[in-house]
Order: sequence, then structure tokens, then C-alpha cells
Amino acid sequence: MSYAELCVTSNFTFLRGASHPEELVTRAADLGLSAIAITDRNSLAGVVRAYSALKELRRELGDAALLPKLIVGARLILRDSDTHWIALPHDRAAYARLTRLLTLGKRRAPKGACFLDLRDLCDGCAGMSLIALPQGALRNSRADIARLRTCFPSDVFVGAAPRYDGTDQAYLAACSQLAHRTAAPMVAVGDVLMHHGSRRQLADVLTCMRHHITIDQIGTRALPNAERRLKPAADMQRLFARHPAALRRTTEIAAQCSFCLSELSYEYPDEVAGDEPPQDRLARLAQEGLGRRYPHGAPDRALAQVQKELALVKQLNFPAYFLTVHDIVQFARSQGILCQGRGSAANSILCYLLGITDVSPEVITMVVERFVSEHRGEPPDIDVDFEHERREEVIQHIYAKYGRHRAGLCATVIHFRSRAAIREVGKVMGLSHDVTANLSGQIWGQSNGGADPKRIKELGLDLSNARLAQTIKLIGDIIGFPRHLSQHVGGFIITKGRLDELCPIENAAMDDRTIIEWDKDDIDALGILKVDILSLGMLTCIRKSFDLIALHGGQTYSIATVPQADTPTFDMLCVADAVGVFQVESRAQMNFLPRMKPREFYDLVIEVAIVRPGPIQGGMVHPYINRRQGKEPVAFPSKELEEVLGKTLGVPLFQEQAMQIAVVAAGFTPSEADKLRRSMATFRRMGTIGQLRDKFIGGMLERGYEPAFAESCFSQIEGFGEYGFPESHAAAFAMLAYVSSWLKCHHPAAFACALLNSQPMGFYAPAQIVRDAREHGIEVRPICVNNSTWDNTLERRADGTLALRLGFRQIKGFREEDAAWIVAARGNGYPDPEALWLRAGLTPSALERLAEADAYADMGLGRRNALWQVKAIRAPKPLPLFNDPLDGEGIVEPKIDLPAMHLGEEMVEDYVAMRLSLRAHPMELLRPNMHGLTPHAELATAPLQRTHVCGLVITRQRPGTASGVIFLTLEDETGVSNVVVWPKVYERFRRAVMGGRLLRVTGHLQREGIVVHLIAQDVQDMSHHLGELGHPMDEAIGITQPQADDAPRTPAVKTARHPREQAKRLFPSRDFH
Amino acid sequence: MNAQAERAGLHRGMGFSDARAFCRDLQSRPADVRSDQRFLHSLARWSERYCPWVGLDGDDGLVLNIAGSAHLFGGESAMLGDMRHRLARTGLSARLGVADTRGAAWAFAHFSAGQTGARLRDLPVAALRLEAKTCTALQRVGLRHVSDVMALPRASVARRFGQDVLMRLDQALGDIPEEISPLQEAPRYAAQMSFPDPIGTGDDIMAAAERLLAQVCMRLKTQEMGARILQLTLRRVDQKSQQVELRLAAPLRDAKRILPLFQRGVDAVDPGFGIDQIQLQATRVEPLEIQQIDHTGSKVATKLDDLITRIGVRVGLDNVQRFLPADSHIPERSFLTASAAHSRASGAWVHLRTRPIRLFGPDPIAAQGTRPPQTFRWRRMFLTTARATGPERIAPEWWFSDDNWRSGVRDYWRVETRQGRRLWLFYTPQNPGWFVHGEFA
Repeated sequence: MSYAELCVTSNFTFLRGASHPEELVTRAADLGLSAIAITDRNSLAGVVRAYSALKELRRELGDAALLPKLIVGARLILRDSDTHWIALPHDRAAYARLTRLLTLGKRRAPKGACFLDLRDLCDGCAGMSLIALPQGALRNSRADIARLRTCFPSDVFVGAAPRYDGTDQAYLAACSQLAHRTAAPMVAVGDVLMHHGSRRQLADVLTCMRHHITIDQIGTRALPNAERRLKPAADMQRLFARHPAALRRTTEIAAQCSFCLSELSYEYPDEVAGDEPPQDRLARLAQEGLGRRYPHGAPDRALAQVQKELALVKQLNFPAYFLTVHDIVQFARSQGILCQGRGSAANSILCYLLGITDVSPEVITMVVERFVSEHRGEPPDIDVDFEHERREEVIQHIYAKYGRHRAGLCATVIHFRSRAAIREVGKVMGLSHDVTANLSGQIWGQSNGGADPKRIKELGLDLSNARLAQTIKLIGDIIGFPRHLSQHVGGFIITKGRLDELCPIENAAMDDRTIIEWDKDDIDALGILKVDILSLGMLTCIRKSFDLIALHGGQTYSIATVPQADTPTFDMLCVADAVGVFQVESRAQMNFLPRMKPREFYDLVIEVAIVRPGPIQGGMVHPYINRRQGKEPVAFPSKELEEVLGKTLGVPLFQEQAMQIAVVAAGFTPSEADKLRRSMATFRRMGTIGQLRDKFIGGMLERGYEPAFAESCFSQIEGFGEYGFPESHAAAFAMLAYVSSWLKCHHPAAFACALLNSQPMGFYAPAQIVRDAREHGIEVRPICVNNSTWDNTLERRADGTLALRLGFRQIKGFREEDAAWIVAARGNGYPDPEALWLRAGLTPSALERLAEADAYADMGLGRRNALWQVKAIRAPKPLPLFNDPLDGEGIVEPKIDLPAMHLGEEMVEDYVAMRLSLRAHPMELLRPNMHGLTPHAELATAPLQRTHVCGLVITRQRPGTASGVIFLTLEDETGVSNVVVWPKVYERFRRAVMGGRLLRVTGHLQREGIVVHLIAQDVQDMSHHLGELGHPMDEAIGITQPQADDAPRTPAVKTARHPREQAKRLFPSRDFH
Repeated sequence: MNAQAERAGLHRGMGFSDARAFCRDLQSRPADVRSDQRFLHSLARWSERYCPWVGLDGDDGLVLNIAGSAHLFGGESAMLGDMRHRLARTGLSARLGVADTRGAAWAFAHFSAGQTGARLRDLPVAALRLEAKTCTALQRVGLRHVSDVMALPRASVARRFGQDVLMRLDQALGDIPEEISPLQEAPRYAAQMSFPDPIGTGDDIMAAAERLLAQVCMRLKTQEMGARILQLTLRRVDQKSQQVELRLAAPLRDAKRILPLFQRGVDAVDPGFGIDQIQLQATRVEPLEIQQIDHTGSKVATKLDDLITRIGVRVGLDNVQRFLPADSHIPERSFLTASAAHSRASGAWVHLRTRPIRLFGPDPIAAQGTRPPQTFRWRRMFLTTARATGPERIAPEWWFSDDNWRSGVRDYWRVETRQGRRLWLFYTPQNPGWFVHGEFA
């Protein structure tokens, strides 16, 4: 007797199913079921996972193994009926109807929900087996079953699921009677929630999460037993002893459902080609591209490469894909939106010729196999970056051009990670907030490790406590469970036919976005192409820089026309003058630049790729830098590897190289090597990594390599799995890094202005960007109602150079619309603040904002007097009678002398209004009262000894690769300093390091070339000194009452009367959290 | 927050995760606003030792009008010292301030703790009890102290910062009066009656009780309260007193219904040489709203309450219990027993599954196999199975370790015996054994 399970809820029915689709399929195979249907609630999200798992099993066990057949289906839940329906499509056409039905329901509903009615089922369920699962009393379902049976006479069944409540036989008899009456045959189903009985606990925990209750409140909502698991045929036979036909029918239905996901054939949209066959159009465009890219004739190698790629594309039938991307890029260009391909696409000369990427094949080795390969049997992946402020235009263009029924974003499955798992399971299990916070507190960033037993002991928790032990186990179980679907950053699926016949489409949380139910791995597994429409802030910045240069009489540049190999640019990078430059502006990169000393473009490619978790974890950084500086001879482990590693001095740095090592040195076939890479990244769940590791190391040892080298190669590939850069991607990013540093070097004013106008982006706050600009000798002018616009602008100075005028966008909380009104009604300028109110129609609060930002200084009004004047305007709109400023009587007010502001106060006010100050640096004012400090500018020459520095914290970083070391960057009026805090010191000064805004650090200086580090020994929080800035220090009465914060009725966060609080608000830093 | 937390840099209104970053072994408890309030009220009652006029100030302050009582403690500063001393002895940290107006006293208490001789004009503007927004606005134009505001023309200030600033200033300076509303004293529900001639018979006592009850019930009615415990104190001529206590099953203020309930207690009273004073007090009261009477009347419920009281008078009110439904699959845990007087009957008993009317032990019986035995002995009875339906499988609640469920999963069967008893048997497959767990009606 064989049995097919037709009703299985996987964990893609979020917070309900308690097993992964993979687990269900594997278990079904173990139990010897003849078929298994994955039927999630109004969803097909889990079916591809099951399909991939089955494929993997097939590959592992060989074709001979008896594996269950996978049936794709969904459990339809209707708004107007309490009968659930299992819909199992028989063929491709019926599958298309099912996805359209689900799309219909989902597009009607808000994100995550699906509104379907019985009528929709009657209209759109032809060609499916429909199994009714009555939820309430059986007789209530009779009418619905009868109604559907009249629509689909031979496809409607009554599903009988045992309930294990002591009345099973009676219930099954009743079901049988219902089946008899409605003439819909009865079929046995398990209504499975989990693959194994041990998941009952997890199922209960998920129920609690769904209802937002703790486990002690669950009561009868808990599963009474663990029987809703996958069961072997023998068990089902015992339960259905009196209804053998119901069991037999399961296999009959399974046999009828012949649809398999592999039938989904994907076709590219064909409007891209017009009347021309796609391949011809691609060839023509490539030819045009050759002419454009190589005005003096293309080298033979390039021509050969083009021919090779064209042939490959033709063979694999991808031309339409290239053309689709080309069209999108063309659209962006026509709108003046800057874009550039990233990732492996830069491995293709076709992409270069089509203008998708800008890195020429002369610079990098193009490994086209990394991009498209015939063995891989999966589509290439072209990712294109667009300006972050204008990407939405591109997205809406795609929707408009192809329609929402043909284009959709792909989903990202949000999984439970350690932190969320601990928090949510802890909450359900009734752990106190403190305990869960403590448990998860040690986890930095994303992790899948669960709660660490050592950590639990440290917290003084008793692991032998049953409840706690259960919690820890459940946390381990739930990690990796999908939590909800979110939208992918920009992966677009575009089809020739209807997309909703491929996969259900639902509304995204964002307006005007629709997403499909599958994520990028699912798409890959099915061989569906996607185009990644990504956003990149630096592109916005570069475009704005180009515009500004052109506007102020410069040349018109594009990424391709920026002069290459410019010596001053590289000189600038060699001294780590890189604030604002793409990719190399981070603290780690800035430290690395002077050691690396980039002299040519390829050095930048390496620079971008090397300071990454992959090479750092693989221990590749030091060997490389030693070799580059000539401290270590460049040696190659073998002759064949010299070819692979020649460019990088014998040290593998790129993904391609790691793959090639696997091929050349460990004897992998190219497809095996690719599988190795992928198994690191996405297929962790299947647990096949161990075999590959043995094979890799074994292969290398056989070929006579050192075990240590083999180990380090493997560990690097492991690191690459998630964080590695392919060479092509590094090259694409290096291109932007080069262009941005060229701009910074030759057009510093335009670059700084564009950088400020593209905020938020990058690593540094406006204060640091402005400071860096001023250090480069650019005059920065304050915000002024009579000169500024919303954006920061450039103004021509008398001496012909450009000055940067700050714009209204720097004022916190100021609206763009108000700025537009100010500019529009400006005329010959505003004589007084009231004119702004009358002419530009600004609200009193906007006028106040301007006063706080000292934007009336031009009118001879100090900040305080301006504020005093503006405060008198209370009405949002001028009253008609007093509208005339010449004749209006107004109110004669006595003249008032407000206390004058001193520098400290002005500066604090600047920070309050704009988060930056052009007047002074806080440290400049505080230094007279702090003794024994070394200014940052002197650190480069100071003797190497115990040194004290003090400065505002700009960055605090704790990279995952640095084993708990914290890097601080402090800023004073002379420059920045780099502080290294070891974990032991951190533990001692935790509060100061975490909470301080102004820190005084004592430690030993270390210098390597021009890189200076201070190894912290003592960290003091000096933030309270910042409070002194705003107040004259000789004030008679205690300025601050430490307890004054606790004064009732004043929300402490808002008022921030405590100096430390004030400091925190004024000088925010970019923190890790 | 304790002093240690404050030293570690924590303050009110801070996010929990931020606070934890400051202080790793932070312990937190949810704020209990109600008991804070209760404590503040009792502190207010204690403060009546200083003056009769005590009011609340916000969530965490008390305001005392000490006009006319300061000299009893040797002047204002001596009174303050005494207060500080006594509060410190109980472990409370308090900030105290005394001044001629309520506003100024508030300012001193909040902004010059410990410093005597501070002047109002030197305090920050926040001392004027202004909104946080107004405070910052004032500070930003450079008006940091009360004196700065005082120096400005009033019209200009009012135009920019609103009338509120002036009002608060005037209140602090005493130009505008500001009253303190003292806390209300809790009403007392008691009445007493003295007799020129001692009385002795039960009827007389009941008659007196009736009059007192009428007074007490009237007072209860005006406050919309009902009595839960009534105490009748009878003072005898020989100065001894006797008490009759009546515990009611539900709050009540209907004299007609209460009076008969006293009968039994009064009957037991030994009047000795006579009783010359009777006192009636409702020692525990609960809110009881005035209810609209409808024509069907909620008679049944009141009768049940009366019955419970009546039985309670005999056996002790707490011994009268009722069953309440509990939400669990586990039969033993699917009901609760609670004191009838202190719980309401729950309307809904959700019947997910058929359950027996009585539950036992469970009693083990000798049997084997996974299906119910044909014949078995239970409680010295020899029973033969006529019909068995099942099994219903119930697994233990994994999050709650229950010793009764050590044996693991249970398969329950309903067994009808030829002898007429319908029993609930279960089998434990993980730990083979059969048990009788209950009997159906």
C-alpha cells in the first residue's frame, strides 16, 4: 500500500508550519511516501525549496533511488467560507491559473494577506484537484462543496484528516457520509504541520508568537499532541482501516498531478528586439560598441573575445537578456541618470561594449565563465547600480514599460537570526527582558550561532533549569526559519508572457511596488533571469559633481571620459587623503592606503578587494602587503599557480582566483569549483560542505602542495562564500573610487558640494565633509536667506576660485518646499525676517529654524536678535489688515538688550541647528582648560611614548574580523586620531567608550609610515565639558543640577538638561549597535 | 533607578538598550505606577503630622500648606530639618523646599536642593514650572534665569512665549494666588447608637441593628459602594464588648437583605447585664454601581449570593468554592477551584472534547495491550467492557513539568461497562500501563 501526503504546511506559512520544506521532503523520502504536496496557506513560497531539496537528494542518491514525487499546490483560505481548499494543479496550464488566482487575491489585499472568495475559485480553478478541508462542523461545508462540484464535477474531493481526539472513527464515517452526499469522493490527508514529532514544541512556540502571548497563556491553542507529523503509509492505513479507498485515492490524485516546476520555461521579453532577431541586434550593438570603445580599432584579443561571447550567448539563448539590460541602461542614460554595472557582469566584453560596464578588458582578466557558463546551467547575473536618488524613476519605467503583470521585484526571505530568535523565543518562554537582552547582547551583527552556552554560564543562569534548556534548544531550532517576505533590494524579473502565470505576485510594503513570492535562490534554481536594479549613493554624487563642474564653466565629463592614470590623484590617495572617496574612505581602507601606495588603476582594484572580511579571515592581507613592500620575496607555490596568481603577487585575493585554484591545484572541474563556491554561500542547509573540503584539501596534497597552504586556500574560499569580491566587481567599484578621487583631487569644491547634496550616503557626516573641504583651502560660506538655495551651491570668488555656500538642506528639520518658496520670492533680497513671512509665506516655525541656523546674519541680525524678532510672529499667515509692510501700524515694541552670545554658545547653536559649525571646533574652546593634551596634528611627529589626546568621537567600529577590538576615530580642531581599544581595556571603560561623545584617551603611540595609532590604556568620558561651551563658566549659580533631569513632568530625553545629554544630542557619531 | 544606576550615567527616559550599553548587569523591573501612587498617598497621610493641608504635586511630589503650623516645629528651617531627618531615617531621599508661594517652593525643591538662602531670581527658568518647549525657547534667546525674564517688558514676553510664562512667574512671586487642593479623607461607613437603658433581647438588638444599617447603607449608596464585611460591635454595661462579623459573598448595601443575615450572629450574643451601645461599621467596602432594575430582574444571581453568604456564615465563607474553566488540554488542569465569594461565575465552559463529570486519582488497573481490556477490576469491582471509543491522544504540556504526567503521552478511551458505569480509561504507550481517570455521568 502506498500513500501520498497531499496536505503539508511548511514553515513558509509563516509562524504556523514547524518544518522547512527541505526537511519535509527528506523525511517523506525516508518514510517511503509515494508523493508529497507542499501546500502553504495562499502561497507557493516554499515549493521551490522543496523542489531544490528533492533535486539535491536525487543527485546524492542516484537515479535509482525511490524518491517521493513533489506536488506543487496551495491551501486556499477564503474570506467567505470556513472550508479550506487544497488546490493541486494537474499541468502547466492549471498551475498558471493557480498563480493567477493567488495574484488576484494578493493584489487585492495589503502586504502579506490574500483575499479570495468562493466565486474566485469557481472562476479560476479548472484543471486542479480540489480537496475540501472542513474547518467547522461538517454540514456547514456541504453547500460549498456542492457548489464547486457543479463547476468541476470530477475534481472535487472531501479531505478527511484524523483529529486524534477520541472520535476519529465517527468523524471519518461522517466525512465519508458527506462525501457520499455531495458526490465528492473522500480522500485521506494528514494535515501535516511538521516533519517529525519533536517539532511540537516549536509549533507551540510559533503559535505563541502568532498570538503575541507567552507559552503559559497558550492553553488549548497548543497542539494537544504531536500527531500532525508526516506519517508512513502503515500508520495511515491503520487510521483509515475502514476507508481504504480514501487512501488509494491519494496516489490517484498524485498521479494526476503531473506538473513539475522544471516545466516553467522562462522567456525574455521580446519588445527589446523590435523586428530584428535578438541575436542579430546584439551583434549589431556589439559592433557599434566596438567602434565607440575603440575609436582607433579594436585589438585582436578583444575581437576574439566578442566572437566567443556572442557564440556562447547564442548557444545558451540569452541575447534577449542582454538587450533587456541594455534597454534599461539606455533609458537611464537618456534621463541623465548615471549607472554602472557591478559584479560579475564586468567579466563580459559584451557588457563593456553595450555600455553596461565601464571596465575595459585590458585592465582585468575577463573570465567569462564566471559570468555565463554552459556547465552551470544557470543564467548570468547582471547587477546595475543607479543613482540612489533617482533609482525609483528606473523602477517605475520598468513597471510602465512591461506592465505589472510582466515585471516584478523578487522577494527576500527574512529569516530568524540569532538575535531575533533569542528575543522572540525568550519572550514566548517568559524569560525576562534582562535575560534575553543579556543573551543576545553579545551577538554583534548577524549571526546564526544561537545562544552561546559559555555566555549563559557567565550570566549566572542555570543551564540545568528545564525551562531555560528548552529555550536554548528552541532558539537553535528556530534559527533559519523564514519570518516574512520582504522585497529584494532591486532584483527584477521581467518576462515575455504573463509573470503572474509563473509565480504569484503580491503587494510590497512600499507603495507602487509589487513583488513575487520567490527569492533569488529560488529564481536561480528555476533558471529564471533577473536584473538587479541597485542604488548607489556615490553615483548620485558623481553625477552632481559633473553637473556642477559643467555649470561653473568646466568640461562636461562622464565616467568614461574622466582622464585615466592621473598622477596627482594617486599621490593624494597615497597619503590617505580620502574623505568622501568611494570605498576607500573607511577607516580600515584609510589605514591601508599609505601601505599599499596605489600607483595605477589595478592597485585600486586590489585595494578595494583586499580590505574585506574574506581576505582578512583568510590571512591574505599581510603576505600581500609584505610582498608589495618588498619585505618578502614573491614566490609561487607552483608553476601552474603562477599564471593564476601572478597579478596579485602570489596571494589569492579574488573569487575567480579561488575558483581557479580549485581547478588548477585541487583538480576540480569548473562546475565543481562553482558548486564549491555556491555551497559555501547558499546551500549551507544541505550540509555538503564537509565532503568538498576533504576533496579540495586531498586534491591539493596529491599535487604536492603544503598542507598549510591548502588549508589557507580553503579557509579563504570559505570567507569568500559570503564576503568575497570577484575581480570584476572590485574593478567596477575601483572605477568609481578612481573617479571620485579624481574629482576630489581636481575639483574639490564641486566634489564636496555634490557629496553634501547627496547625503545621506557614505561614511562621514556633513561636519567632517565640510571640515575636510576647508582643510583643502575651500572657503565655506554660511547659510544665508539671501544667498542660499535648498542644495549647497558653489559661488565664484573674486580670485576666481569657487566657494561652497551651504544650503538650507543642512538645517535640521527644514522643508524643501519652504526653501523653494524662499528662492522664488527672493527678488532683490529680504530686508528683515518679517519679509520672509510676508513674501515667502513661511510658517513661524520655519522662520525660527532659520534664525536658529543664523541665516539672517546677512541682515545684521545676530542669532539671538533674529530669534527674538521671529518669535514675535505667531500667526501662520499674515492677517489681511496688517498685510502692508509700509503702511501697517504694527506694534511699537520697547528695545530690548538680550545677553550677547559668546563663541561657545554660537558654536553649540550651530551644532543644534545644522550639526556642523563653521565658527570653531569644540575642542578649540575646551583645550585651555584641559592640560597635557597632544593635538592630533602633532601625533605624526610626537615622540613614541605615553600620550594623551582628546577629541570628539567621529566613528566607533568593532569589525567582526578583529576579534572584539574597537576602533575609535577622534577629531579635534587640528585633525583626527585613530585609537585602538583592545577588548580588555574596553571592558574596563565600557561606558566611556560606548556612551562618550568627547573622549580623552591615554595610551602608547604606534607609527607605521604615516599611519599613526594610539593604543588606548585609559579612556575618560569628557562629554560633560561640552556642556560648558553653552554656558559662561563663571556663572554664579550652579549651571547644572545633576539631578535636574529627573524633574517631573519634563521628558528627560527631550529637554536634555544634563550636560552629558546635551552633548549626546549635539555631537552625534556613527556608531555600531 | 537607584543611586548606583544614576552614578553609572543612567537617567529617566533612556531607552532600555542604551541603558544596558552603559551598565551591563542592569536589572530592570517594570514600573508599578499604582503602588507608587499608593505610597505617595500614604506619605501624604504621614505629612499631616506637619500640617493639615496636604496636596499632591504631580506624580512624585507633595505640597504642604504650612501656614500657621511652622512655629510648632520651631520655624520653617527647623521644620524642614525635622522632615529631612525623619525621611532620611526611613531610607527615603527627598528634595525639600520651603517658600512663601507654592511656585517658589517648587522651584527651590527642584533646583536648589540642599542650598538654603538661594534666591528665586538666580534659579534657571525651568524652575518656573514651564513646559519643556518654552524653557528651551527662553534659553535660546539667552534668558537663562528667572531674573532675566523678570527684567523684560511683560508685553514682549507674553507676545513671544505666551501668557503662561507670566502666569507662572506671578505665581512664584505671589502676585497671583494659587491654591493647594488637599487630599480627601476616605469616608467612614459607620454608625453608632447609645441607649439610656441597656437592652438585652435579640429582637431589640436586631431592631437597633436595623436602624444603624439604614444609616450605613444610605452612606454607602451616596458613595456608590457596597459592603463586603460588616462588623457589629455590642458594648455591654460591664464594659466588655462582643462582635458580630458578617462576611458577604458580594458587595451589598440593601439593608433588607443584610439584616436577616445578622440574625444568626445576634442569636449567639450573650447580652450579660445588658448592652448600652451598638456600633456598626463596614470594615471592607467595594465599589458597587447603582444599577438599573429591569423587569426580569437579576434575582437568581442575588439569591445565589445570599445562599453563599448564608452557608458562609455557617462554614466560613472561604470554604464555599466554585469551579472555573481553565484553558488547557490536560484534564486535571482544565478547571480551577476558587472561593465562591471572591470570584465570578464564568459564563463559558468551552467544551472542546467530552470530559467526565468526575476525575479520580488516576487509579492503576491491571491490563495489557494498547486497546482497552475486556474485563478489569477497579476499586474492588469486577467490570466488563461493553463498548470503547477512542483513543484521544493527549501529550503532556512540555513547558510545564507535571509529576502526574511523567509517564508521557496518554491515549484516553471512553469505556462503557456492562455493569452500567461509564469510565474514562487511559493507556500510556511510552510507559505501558492502564489507569482509570474518571467517570461519566
